[in-house]
Amino acid sequence: MTPAIRQPEPLGLVPGPFHDRIAALNRQQGWTGWMGHASPTVLDTVEFEYFAIRNGTTLFDISPMNKYRIAGPDAEAVVNRLVTRDIRKLKPGRVAYAIWCNAEGNVVDDGTVFRLAPNEFRLCCQEPQLGWLDDVAWGYDVTITDDSAAIAALAVQGPTSCAVLKAAGLAGVEELKPFDIRSFRVETHDIMVSRTGFTGDLGYELWMAPGAALGLWDRLMEAGRVRGIRAIGYAAVEMARIEAGFLLPRVDFLSSQTHLRPGRARNPYELGLDWLVALDKPHFNGRRALLALSRQRPARRLVTIEIDRDKPAHHAFVYHRKRREVGFVTSALWSPTVKRNIACAWIEAPWVQDGGDLWVEIYRQRELTWNRRMARARIVERRVFDSARRRATPPADF
Amino acid sequence: MSWDAIVVGAGHNGLVAAARLGQAGRRVLLLEALEGPGGLLGAPAAGQGAGSGGTGPGVRIAAQPTWLNPIVTMGLGLDRYGLGPGVAQPTRAWGPDGPVTLTAGSALGVAPETAAAYAALHARLRRLAGPLARFMGRTPPPLNGAGAGDLLALALDGLALRRLGRADMRELLRILLSNVWDLLEDSLGDGPLAGALAFDATLGGAMGPRSPGTVLPLLYRLAGAPRGADPEILIGALLKAVAATGGVLRCGAPVARILVGDNDRAEGVQLESGEEFRAPLVLSNLHPRRTLTGLLGVAHLDAEDVRRARLMATRGMAARIDLRLATLPEALPAGTRLVVAPRLGAVEAAFDGAKYGGLPERPVLEAVLVPGAVPRLAVTATFVPHAPAGSWTGKSRGTLETRVVAALDEALPGLRSEVTGIETMTPDDIEARYGLPGGHWHHGEFRTDQMLMLRPFARVARYRLPVAGLYLCGAGSHPGGDITGLPGWNAAGQALKDEGKRR
Amino acid sequence: MSYDAIVVGAGHNGLTTACFLARAGLKVLVVERNDHVGGAAVSRELTPGWTYSNCSYVCSLLRPEIIRALELPKYGLQVIPYESGATFDSRGGYFSYSSDHDALRRELMRLDPRDADGYDRFSRAVMKQCRFIKPLLLRTAPDPTSLKPRDLSELLFILRRFNDLGAADMAETLRFWTMSIAEFLDEYLRSDIVKAHIAGSGIIGTGLGPYSPGTAYVLLHHYMGEVDGAIGAWGFARGGMGAITQAMAASLVASGGEIRTGAGLDRFLVKDGRVTGVALANGDEFHARTVVSGMDVRRTFLDHAEARDLPEDFLKGVRRFRFRGSSGKLNIALDAMPRFTAAPEGAGFLRGDLHFLDDMAEIERAYDDWKAGRWSARPYLDFLIPTQIDPTMAPPGKHYATVFVQYAPYAPEGGWNDARREDFARTVIDRVEEHAPGFADLIVHKEVRTPADIEREVGLSEGNIFQGELTFDQLLFNRPVPGWAQYRSPIRGLYMCASSTHPGGGVMGAPGANAAREILRDLGRRIDMGAAA
Repeated sequence: MTPAIRQPEPLGLVPGPFHDRIAALNRQQGWTGWMGHASPTVLDTVEFEYFAIRNGTTLFDISPMNKYRIAGPDAEAVVNRLVTRDIRKLKPGRVAYAIWCNAEGNVVDDGTVFRLAPNEFRLCCQEPQLGWLDDVAWGYDVTITDDSAAIAALAVQGPTSCAVLKAAGLAGVEELKPFDIRSFRVETHDIMVSRTGFTGDLGYELWMAPGAALGLWDRLMEAGRVRGIRAIGYAAVEMARIEAGFLLPRVDFLSSQTHLRPGRARNPYELGLDWLVALDKPHFNGRRALLALSRQRPARRLVTIEIDRDKPAHHAFVYHRKRREVGFVTSALWSPTVKRNIACAWIEAPWVQDGGDLWVEIYRQRELTWNRRMARARIVERRVFDSARRRATPPADF
Repeated sequence: MSWDAIVVGAGHNGLVAAARLGQAGRRVLLLEALEGPGGLLGAPAAGQGAGSGGTGPGVRIAAQPTWLNPIVTMGLGLDRYGLGPGVAQPTRAWGPDGPVTLTAGSALGVAPETAAAYAALHARLRRLAGPLARFMGRTPPPLNGAGAGDLLALALDGLALRRLGRADMRELLRILLSNVWDLLEDSLGDGPLAGALAFDATLGGAMGPRSPGTVLPLLYRLAGAPRGADPEILIGALLKAVAATGGVLRCGAPVARILVGDNDRAEGVQLESGEEFRAPLVLSNLHPRRTLTGLLGVAHLDAEDVRRARLMATRGMAARIDLRLATLPEALPAGTRLVVAPRLGAVEAAFDGAKYGGLPERPVLEAVLVPGAVPRLAVTATFVPHAPAGSWTGKSRGTLETRVVAALDEALPGLRSEVTGIETMTPDDIEARYGLPGGHWHHGEFRTDQMLMLRPFARVARYRLPVAGLYLCGAGSHPGGDITGLPGWNAAGQALKDEGKRR
Repeated sequence: MSYDAIVVGAGHNGLTTACFLARAGLKVLVVERNDHVGGAAVSRELTPGWTYSNCSYVCSLLRPEIIRALELPKYGLQVIPYESGATFDSRGGYFSYSSDHDALRRELMRLDPRDADGYDRFSRAVMKQCRFIKPLLLRTAPDPTSLKPRDLSELLFILRRFNDLGAADMAETLRFWTMSIAEFLDEYLRSDIVKAHIAGSGIIGTGLGPYSPGTAYVLLHHYMGEVDGAIGAWGFARGGMGAITQAMAASLVASGGEIRTGAGLDRFLVKDGRVTGVALANGDEFHARTVVSGMDVRRTFLDHAEARDLPEDFLKGVRRFRFRGSSGKLNIALDAMPRFTAAPEGAGFLRGDLHFLDDMAEIERAYDDWKAGRWSARPYLDFLIPTQIDPTMAPPGKHYATVFVQYAPYAPEGGWNDARREDFARTVIDRVEEHAPGFADLIVHKEVRTPADIEREVGLSEGNIFQGELTFDQLLFNRPVPGWAQYRSPIRGLYMCASSTHPGGGVMGAPGANAAREILRDLGRRIDMGAAA
């Protein structure tokens, strides 16, 4: 008997656990790649999907996110050594946003740390981190597993999301405070729910075995039918992200693990993430470098700017007094909710302090003709959209 | 009891570091895990190397006459402590057509043109080693961000290089990363002479003579002194130097960990017994991997440093074998080193056998007679894997011993029947007794990617570890292995300099 | 007859130099011993209907600046990338490489989830080194012993680039340039087959094994090329590697240059330490104040120049220069596409480079055979069937296989003869046959090339495909002879332009372009790199 001949791995994007449902709804046939998985860009129209985040309930498949399980007697020590926050303060059943740095104090990646049990953590992040985690955990009694394919995940976000979940049978979900975790039994499946998200609004993330994915999707859709539920794509999530002031690796900054050119890595002080660095805890990766950096003025800062005029400043340079180039925009958006023209931008240090007289050059194409306009910009709070809904517990039903 | 400085490990580099610190007026405590000082140069434990069965007086790992770098002997004034002038040790390189005798720069027993070629090569390499010797005696410069002092020193190195003249400078830049096989074949042709030099260039490490980068160790060795003293005398002189400056040596005191304060500074050490000693300065003469991942602990280190420490190339491939003899072999005069590496290819073939983890069919080796009531032939055989096929067995030890005796019997006919006892320290044994990862007696491969500013790895190449007040001072640091005392000397110098800055 | 410049040897570097000189307005003659141009970049029809890339067989290193400046696409050059490859193991499995990152990641995940990450880290590390070295390729290596402003400024350029890397990457660069490919890969990867697949690039054409320090650099030498900006990608020249030199020859002729084939060199004509022209084997003499040798350094100076015209230390350096041919090649005309037991029929990865091995130790053992003067009993093969992509090289439905073999000695005991050559071929074919039963029966015609054949036909000393080993003692300012690494020779007006000079071998063209720049500089002119400048 000859052994079966193995087919090579497929090229391009492969379907994720929710793919069948998303494909059926994807009227745009717009897909993008996310860790090799097909992720929808837009299913319907960006506007509808964006407003669904701020008005109803949205479903967005976040299964392609990298998910790592860190478990064992030394799990807390390893996670505390990894991230810059003091993870000893994170109680089981809680989630924390965190960053981690290399020996030079540059940010490797950001992500969310779930403390599932005293000795068990889950790390969710954008960039693959298995090699880095192995390096950090060497010499400790922990097991690190890449759970990315073993766990399906769904972001359920929007002002009616709590109501939808309750209606879907997740009684008690309203008790979850922001960053709380709780497990629910839905039919025969365990669903873990965290009150987390990327939209700056009320929202949850649901974690489950891939086999539970489609059933849960149907259940939520059914429960949300009268509460404005809608599956959405990446483009709308991106808008909400910018409003909420969250950073995105590869867009706003580059992981110190992935850049090829010298000088492209960024430290937490440049990123404005000082609040995540607990220099007073025992040694963690990059601590000595961060200590030195904390005493210096960062060379540049990532800031949110608000721009006069109403066209988003995509790919724009930032100028001081319309003349001197002092930075550039990484993400830009006309915020439909707060009605402000905002952008994330890198600005060289002196001009951050200086504050005044910043300008962005906005490029516009009108009927095949490009023109550019200088628009005044000023530095504003990072979180442009800040709703009480994000924090209220129990949340309102709408 | 509190101290100005603690030195962990009383090998020769630890002793040198302690003496230099003592010279500068520091009250130094020197802690040694074994029962006596000297490390690989020290007296062996009785029975060490006898395997599971027999007993014996024990194998001293560094049995050859040896000498420290002149910077150290003069810096510590070791002649005042009885080091004496040392003696030159000729080498007898065995070949099937008769032996070649080498003393510094001259070869007897070869054709006149070969002798002339050897003299020329020796002189040339000694000349080229000159600028390296300068570099060996101080902290290597940082890879970037060099300070004014480093830049000045580098500029002086540049001048020393230029003083070589253009032809030599070019030659140095050409051979620096080259392989010793080509160099020797070009200069001398093949034979016992080339074989012996190739043996010297590769001894202790895991590279054959055809491996690029094997010229550099040879240059390093030539930068040292062509003399030797008995290890006992050398260690004795160092001990006196330490004692003379008020240093205290405690043996049988294995250090369990280095104590680090909340301010990220070294505060002292804790022994395995639980006893603690406090000092603001701690120097470790242990292998960098043990110092970093063992005594200090990964919790105090960034992942990058742990990665480099654990990936250090440190596969030792030298075994020490002592043969007890019924009578002294006539063919080997006392005070002469015998090298059995009759051709370049013999050295490479021995390496080929070991590189896949097997025992070489024909090990290459050096041997000296150790005088005493029972005459001993101290043999260093290479290339011997750390552990053939996973672990040593009685059978594989026996195979190694048989092959070593067979190789020696060719050079010293009749030796086989004179052997009354054999003791063997494999790289694995050396690791177990001396705490050297991989049993590597240079504390890490002597290879271009682990030398100079990269020894043991870039971020700790200047002796200073990330925890303030903590230093490496052993052979795992610049300029590296062999018996030079320079790592200890330089590390102590760096520690004193840093202390001066802080005060 | 008199010219401004004469180039000896119509290989890709000789032609590159000739093209640039002709474009600068010089009257250029190229003389070539063989009756065809191309050197080691040739396409030849040795059996009716099949075209072989007889020597070099894939393209990546040819500098895009040269392709543009010499307008090679206008003269017919098309380089088509192949996107994949595979290594078959002895247990009936395979690892397939794909340029599609998602597919590659899944393949690595299948073998070991840690290798998916490890591979990305490895390729970023290599990419950083490629970025570092790339700008050095089309520059003359500075003489570090010289205090001339130009040498100092070039040295400063390199040091500054190095310093810009930052401490961590500076250390990585130093390590990378001196480490063995095996140890480098061990730091990143765990699967033997993945490491084996990659390690081949560290030893191709080289008299070193994957465990030898210095082989990580050789890998870089094979990774620093590109196809249309895709760094590290390799492709086929449509019509075989001869398409490159044919396009160069056409470009040269269009610029007014002249090529004479069947015109082997007897000697350089030298008067008072200055070259005055060349004397051919057939007795013809041509005169020029500039003569450029596209031959390797040994043949140039030991076979065709007089020792009395050369200083002793230079000659010593030339004699010492290491060639050590270590590669052989089979070109095979196939009646049909072979079937690989482990591969699904028509699998995309069959269009790329195929290898047959389990681990790096197997390559090291192949090296041990060569060290002992034998060809490898189980050689490392770089096996490609370009006719899956290029329809011009075989009749429809038929195929052409190019099989690069590492290691083969230049002089096995007793020397090469027909019987040994046939044994050597049998060793290689048997190796393929293990994975593709019936392969031998598909063979319509084969060309077997040992290092000795390569030396005889192409003129590469000892059959070294790089015109000299790529070890550090023969790179940069050491290539080919310290102090003579800037394309000039001790004989005034006589230049070197081929792979014996910086930056070395491979169908790169950089030595040729660099030599042209230096020649024109001496003539008070500038090289025209066109829009690529």
